[in-house]
Amino acid sequence: MLAWIKKKWNYFAIAALLIFLILIPFDWFLSRYTSLMIIIGISTMVTAGLCLLMGYTGQVSLGQAAFYGLGAYFSAVLSKTYSLNPWLAMLIAALATGAFAYAVGYPIFKLRGNYLAMATLGIGLIMWILFNQLSQYTGGPDGMSGIPYLSIGGFTFDTNFKRYYLVWCFCLAILFLSQNIVRSRTGRALRAIHGNEAAAESIGINVNQFKLKIFVLSSVYASLAGSLFAHHLRHVSPQPFDFLASIKLVVMAVIGGLASIWGAIFGAGTTRFLSDEVLLGFNKYPQLDIIIYGLILMLVMIFMPEGLFIAIKSFTFWLKVNWRELPSIMKRKRKELPNQMKHIFRQLLLMRLWRKTEP
Amino acid sequence: MSADQFVQYLMSGLTQGSIYALIGLGFTIIYAVTRIINFAQGEFVMLGGMLSYVLAVKEGLSMPLAIIIAVLAAAAVGTVMYLLAIRTARRASVISLIIITIGAAIFIRGIAGNRFGVNTVSPPDFTGSGSISFLGAYIEPQALWIIGITFVVTILLYLFLSHTMVGKALRACAINPGAASLVGINTKAMSLIAFAIAAAIGGIGGVVIAPLAMASYNMGVMLGLKGFVAASIGGFMSPITTVIGGVVLGVVESLAVGLDWGPFTSAYKDVIALVVLLLILLIRSGKLAAAERAG
Amino acid sequence: MSQPILETKNLSKAFGGLIAVDKVDLKIDTGRITAIIGPNGAGKTTLFNLIAGVYQQTSGEILFNGKSLKHFPWYARAIKPGSNKKIFKDKLQRHVSAHMRASLGIARTFQHIHLFGNMTVLENIMTGQHTRSKYGFFGAALRLPKARQEEELINLNAMKYLNMVGLGKYANQNALSLPLGQQKLLAIARALATEPKLILLDEPGAGLNALEKRELSDLIKRIREMGITAVLVEHDMPLVMGVAEWIIVLDSGKKIAEGTAAQVQKDRKVIAAYLGEEVDSAEG
Repeated sequence: MLAWIKKKWNYFAIAALLIFLILIPFDWFLSRYTSLMIIIGISTMVTAGLCLLMGYTGQVSLGQAAFYGLGAYFSAVLSKTYSLNPWLAMLIAALATGAFAYAVGYPIFKLRGNYLAMATLGIGLIMWILFNQLSQYTGGPDGMSGIPYLSIGGFTFDTNFKRYYLVWCFCLAILFLSQNIVRSRTGRALRAIHGNEAAAESIGINVNQFKLKIFVLSSVYASLAGSLFAHHLRHVSPQPFDFLASIKLVVMAVIGGLASIWGAIFGAGTTRFLSDEVLLGFNKYPQLDIIIYGLILMLVMIFMPEGLFIAIKSFTFWLKVNWRELPSIMKRKRKELPNQMKHIFRQLLLMRLWRKTEP
Repeated sequence: MSADQFVQYLMSGLTQGSIYALIGLGFTIIYAVTRIINFAQGEFVMLGGMLSYVLAVKEGLSMPLAIIIAVLAAAAVGTVMYLLAIRTARRASVISLIIITIGAAIFIRGIAGNRFGVNTVSPPDFTGSGSISFLGAYIEPQALWIIGITFVVTILLYLFLSHTMVGKALRACAINPGAASLVGINTKAMSLIAFAIAAAIGGIGGVVIAPLAMASYNMGVMLGLKGFVAASIGGFMSPITTVIGGVVLGVVESLAVGLDWGPFTSAYKDVIALVVLLLILLIRSGKLAAAERAG
Repeated sequence: MSQPILETKNLSKAFGGLIAVDKVDLKIDTGRITAIIGPNGAGKTTLFNLIAGVYQQTSGEILFNGKSLKHFPWYARAIKPGSNKKIFKDKLQRHVSAHMRASLGIARTFQHIHLFGNMTVLENIMTGQHTRSKYGFFGAALRLPKARQEEELINLNAMKYLNMVGLGKYANQNALSLPLGQQKLLAIARALATEPKLILLDEPGAGLNALEKRELSDLIKRIREMGITAVLVEHDMPLVMGVAEWIIVLDSGKKIAEGTAAQVQKDRKVIAAYLGEEVDSAEG
């Protein structure tokens, strides 16, 4: 019985997570966190896109909040000022954001090296300035209110309770889709790019185009999240889309694990919890939040570049190990050791011979 | 725009451009020697400016002493950052290093904001205030200091790189780190020196601009970005081209605002730098892609 | 004999002042195992990189199955032929990039193997099938039936290539856990999975022991039986002489000789290139 549970661990974990998520908004459970969880769900969507981008193509986006903001503002303007159906507005926002990301990314991904980081930093800042300056469209620094709720037929998502399920349906759908992508031919191509770009190119993978596609995909995720955000708060302003927001998203991705999909929940959850619940009480110590973000980024990338979530997950390996097998596992490893040493020696020897023949 | 106004905008562009040039030099040095883009470069500038204010005004030290300590402190922070964050990461991937420098940048910014507060401050000018008339335009003496010091730093840097052993070693690392280590150059030490020098130059930049353009704990973001644009224009390899890039950016920015052309009000001034960045990247992507294929 | 599968005409590649490949003309006949040999620094790997599309030649042409490896980008294709825009259009021709050459049928392996260390052995080969399958983002995300069918096919094909090189039982291990000789076989299997017409093997024998080299020879012959033309760059003379049907010799970027193994072994220029000029006078 126990062995069967250990084998199907993944399914159990996901089932447990789902049950937990479903129960949260109920008063007898954790309903006081409903609003926070909505934000976490929205943030997870953006983070998932960022994880795909950073983890598989190795490119950093320091302006993801720009796409998040674009989605929110497009939705807001289209559904309020132009009275478009909010769902249609969301779709248009996603397409427009994707097109924008494509246009910007096209020349940038032709460059080797990491110009994307600075370019996205620049885009993030430009967008934030534009959100502030184009007041006739965006309402300027004060933003705009009165954004309608989302609704299906007669059913309006007007309470936190209802919106919670909407957001998490979107979020889980996105995670599920991303998981499918990663396990497919496309995912293999991405992992190939991550593993060795030159080899990926040699077997017919158009590296630049893939990087661009993932960049666009991540922008679409962010845009959808932004739209949901707009219809949740019914008010958008430039403030949640500033440089700090982009940094927080990078922190979420880093904690969640750069190439991990489900880790995005963990990353977004812990970071949001930290920034919206824990740190609120530390007003006496100014800038503590960015000090902590900076530390997290440095420490995680130095010691656990795979991400905090993956490092924690690897501990679960010990839960799965059958303790009775332990001695034979150790014995097997000890037997393999001399073979491995032989291979290492051979490689070293080859390298020395190589040096001798090269002029 | 009258000729006088044109000269005015030109001068202010030259001043701003000098700052961008100084910051860009920091990016260039670190990138050339270590191939890392140091996102914390702007923070070194911020440290220079903030520390010079704190030491001179709050602590009452004499201006020259405050300046020296501020620059040394910036260099020290750069060194420590290299040792603790970069060296320990060892064979980290490019993306890891980028995130590490970003983390360092916001960490430094956070500590500064915590210690120095969020207010904008302004240390006193180096020499008295009062504009000087020059070629039909009015220029602050501090601006002359900025341009002058940038000039001096560039010359010194150039001489250092071309005529001293250490400078040549740095250039060797920039050209081919593998070969450099094979001929006995300690590349790790060179990386350390590169960081220290870049941080010091950044500190000098901060010290010299703070009296004119004021300083605050978050001035590093924009300045860093613009310095990066300057270095991009220059191609990240040579101090001279970086300085040219900085001056070009400063002048273009200033003229675009001054010409009042299109939507370029002063709020959009920053947008210009960013648009220039994207244009540069566009152009370079074409050239670089062709160069890559040519091997 | 039909047209050669690969032809280079006056192919040159210069890196600044260094001329790595100097006006090389060669023809590689379809189905004939060809080896390119030469002393170190002769430009063999550069030649491979040119054929594979990693580098763009400084001058000269490469013809694959008679067609030049240049193409028109999407914005130039609309220009009608025969118009006087043609002169301008010729300038817009772009060199066919490396990944496009893989889908055209040119595969290659690398001297330093370059496996995908973050995947299993089988996944490495399945990635090789990338250009021979089509489903994209939507098919993958929604797991459409067409996508699942293609995935099944990819899996089957990958296992086939895996078994062809004898690594079937390692299918689910991490690629880097294999010893060097087997990693090389895996790399070859991955290149074969792209279903190429021409395969370029860059020093496949380096680092292999005698037994592994025999297996490699057999594998190359089996590749020929599959209808794929194999070209190898190799330093190991017995391996080359045993497997190659045609040998091309390069020295300092120039082609100095070509022929069968017997012919090349006796060629004075070849001996001089490898051993130095003195031997000429000693042989008398």
